Amino acid sequence: MELLERMKAGISRNISRMAGEGAEYSDARFFADDRSENLVLYDGNLEANDTTFQTGTGVRVLWGGAWGFSASSDPDKLDACFDQALANARTASRLVSVPLRMGRAAPIHGSYSSPVVTDPFSVPLEEKLEFLMGIDKALKEDWIARRAIAAGFMRRTVLFMNSDGSEIVKNTTNVFADMIIMALDVDGMMQRRSMTLFTTGRGTRGWEMLCVPELFCGHADRIKSELSALLSADRLEYGRRSVILLPGQGHLQVHETIGHPLELDRILGYELSFAGGSFVTLDSIGSLKYGSEKLSVSSYGGIENSPGTFGYDDDGTPEKDYRLIDKGILVNVLSSRAMVNEANDRAGRTVLAGSGGAARATAFYRAPIDRMTNVNILPGSDGSLEDIVSSTKNGLLLDNPTSWSIGSNREHFHFGCEIAWEIIDGRRTRILRNPTYQGHTLEFYNSLSAVGDESTWVVCQVDNCGKGEPNQVMQLGHGVPVVRFDDVITGERS
Amino acid sequence: MLEQETRELLLSARDRAAASGVRATFVLHREKSHLMRIGNNSVSLNTSEELTRLDVRVIDGRREGTHTSLGHLTGREYVDEALAIAAAKAKVAVPKDYEPIQECVEENIDEADQDDPALAGLDPSVKSGIYAEVIDALGKNYNFSGSWSSGRTEIYLVSTCNSNEACHSGTDQRFTVVLKHPEKKWELQNEQTGWKAVDVKADEAISALGSLLPVYEGTAGVRNEPGLYTLLLGPAAVAELMLYALWTGAQGRMYEEKIGWTAGMKIGDRVFSESISVVDDPGDDLTFRFGFDRAGRRRRPFPVIDGGNLAGLMYDLGTAAKYGRAQTGHTLESTSMSIAAGNGPENPMDAIKGLGKVLVIPALHYMNLPNMSKGIITGSSRFCATIAMDGVVTAPIFSTRLTDSFRNIFGDVAAVSPRRVSVNLSSTYGRRAPVAAGVPSYMVCRNVRMTDCADSF
Repeated sequence: MELLERMKAGISRNISRMAGEGAEYSDARFFADDRSENLVLYDGNLEANDTTFQTGTGVRVLWGGAWGFSASSDPDKLDACFDQALANARTASRLVSVPLRMGRAAPIHGSYSSPVVTDPFSVPLEEKLEFLMGIDKALKEDWIARRAIAAGFMRRTVLFMNSDGSEIVKNTTNVFADMIIMALDVDGMMQRRSMTLFTTGRGTRGWEMLCVPELFCGHADRIKSELSALLSADRLEYGRRSVILLPGQGHLQVHETIGHPLELDRILGYELSFAGGSFVTLDSIGSLKYGSEKLSVSSYGGIENSPGTFGYDDDGTPEKDYRLIDKGILVNVLSSRAMVNEANDRAGRTVLAGSGGAARATAFYRAPIDRMTNVNILPGSDGSLEDIVSSTKNGLLLDNPTSWSIGSNREHFHFGCEIAWEIIDGRRTRILRNPTYQGHTLEFYNSLSAVGDESTWVVCQVDNCGKGEPNQVMQLGHGVPVVRFDDVITGERS
Repeated sequence: MLEQETRELLLSARDRAAASGVRATFVLHREKSHLMRIGNNSVSLNTSEELTRLDVRVIDGRREGTHTSLGHLTGREYVDEALAIAAAKAKVAVPKDYEPIQECVEENIDEADQDDPALAGLDPSVKSGIYAEVIDALGKNYNFSGSWSSGRTEIYLVSTCNSNEACHSGTDQRFTVVLKHPEKKWELQNEQTGWKAVDVKADEAISALGSLLPVYEGTAGVRNEPGLYTLLLGPAAVAELMLYALWTGAQGRMYEEKIGWTAGMKIGDRVFSESISVVDDPGDDLTFRFGFDRAGRRRRPFPVIDGGNLAGLMYDLGTAAKYGRAQTGHTLESTSMSIAAGNGPENPMDAIKGLGKVLVIPALHYMNLPNMSKGIITGSSRFCATIAMDGVVTAPIFSTRLTDSFRNIFGDVAAVSPRRVSVNLSSTYGRRAPVAAGVPSYMVCRNVRMTDCADSF
């Protein structure tokens, strides 16, 4: 606590100093404690038994319409860190055609803590390993070639202060887990089936998540049975048909073709040199028919136990609940303060009412960029999974990605999945191997013909979303129901 | 060599560990990084980071634990705490069913062959100046973006295995500039790499981008129907495709566990066209050279593909231990991939004369593997992609998807450039890990399957 108070005083003094130097805005994030643990049991061997502890401060200074950023682990170099960020901003300001503006925001004094019953870092390693070994035992069979069970834990305490006068302390905790099994099929090709810890959106997000069998470990027998069936399954033939995406696949479809294209920095062209742009333009907001009327999508920071819930973003903006797509029409995007101001300036009108609270940085040594929070397809009115299956004439039911490749402006995509169930005349007929499908984003979402109800809606966790330069890996969530799209290209031409 | 104070901290920790019977390895990773991003003709981010990571791995019989501290290396207590955490984790770990191998520094190494102080201390104003020069030369009516990452990486490795020390210091940089037409949406890119400050030149970017402007400004984009095409692949496309091919086909673990596309093959089997040879060559100056791996092995040239035949499999520390194989010096985030030059003509357009319609694809975007067992890869064209008829570029093409196997892509090769260039393959996720490949400046591949095309760039 003594260090936290010292850093608080130091940051406050430096923010005032930066204002005296003519800075339009400045902020600092002091990561007092940022720890992660990674455990991987592979074929029964503990191949990863790692912890990482990191601490440090990241400083942003906006001067002359340009950002300067600097980071250091050394608390005694806080003044130097601010000086470096200011120097970087001054250098950057020499080449500015579009001055960045943060604008003014009311100061916020707040705090956020992930709801946690049991801090995963308070659980003894022996207990964690016992849990993993229990799953490994359940997965082990002579015919299974590879077994991997992974668990990841993150906990961080971050002090945020900015020149608006905001002071926010965040304590976030995340728990992730996966299990994967692989076996050789009749052609000698490796097939896999996996399960990732998910949530219902309600509850807490400590170690206790792993203790609910329905959310993770209770699926071991199911994935074994499905993998077994895959080994002698027929291969998917090329053709156009409906695809029904289970949440294990649907969340990645949303992530790649709704989440990323709606990040405002991509729309404005700030990611062109690496991640890519977006087919969405500022003129699209309020008019683009992104999907059929059945498609409504939200960005909702209030999901209780998702990694996309963090209270306040790294601009100091509180998380919000708002529609991105309403009955098929694009109405908003994922945004941060500076990007919203620029978008409105460029459009010459108010296209966005305010920041979406999506400025996020993955660590103290990275600057915030526009990221997904929780990007969700809202539940629909087409009933349960079985209701949707029974109303499908010719289709595939798909689960879990093996491969994803997306066009640079997110206009087209190609996905490979672990498993497909063929559906003919409303009935599941057989399992098919190596399913793939591809499409063009707008055409695809406009073919959305069924959206499952709340009984099909779950929050899938993403622990490895990559974006930005320097690259940043971010954690977030997607609440998705079962969804069906029609007339989709599936399989590969022979 | 690392400065004496830090070095002594680590050596004394190693000696204390050895004296108490703890088998420990210490890796210090220190980076001084700078990155400038350009967006909308402005510097959008100008960032500096100085970060020090200490990795400690402890082996306790068949149990092990590792710990990384990223922070301010304050003194003996800091190192001892990291060691204690790793040791405590190892103590209660699940024992493996094989004997882990400890990192062991083969010989004393102190290398700084690719370390340019001028690049390590490059003033950011030099970067903004070069971007300004490019923008001024090509016109502010276009939308320019890009990034320029540069820095120094120091890696210091010791273990209780012996008293040797391995130390690496090197600089690296990657420069990209993207020119986008604000209305027509096409994107051109120039990328430069190297380890010296003088390796990035504004003139080269201006010339490369400028040479493509007439065809892009004067011709509408073309949509290609799915089918088999002859491709003129640029160096970035060749490097990334080959990197994926080696990752899934030439890594010992992928092979042993029958996950990759070479499962069931044996050394000497034909996998690619005979015009393709690949060596992991840490001495190739077109790569970022690392003389030792993270296990302390001296790295030496290692043939992977020889005249189209599978020549070697790369074994890292963990795979070697698990499967009882010899380590090959590949306990790294990457290899120093070096693809041999060919005997094609110097000018790539000469290489496709008489071949009719050819898709010119300098780089591929967002690749992935829908079927690893078959070595099938997919990705789409992006920057500077055009169509050529009998050796003349005629039109830009819309974003076009390739989905085919490595063996098909590299199996029917019509020409390989006689000139090799460096392609930067670094990822900046997490710690600075410079990677570059030395590759032919082009490769002509026939009968490659294109499976989709967008209606726009």
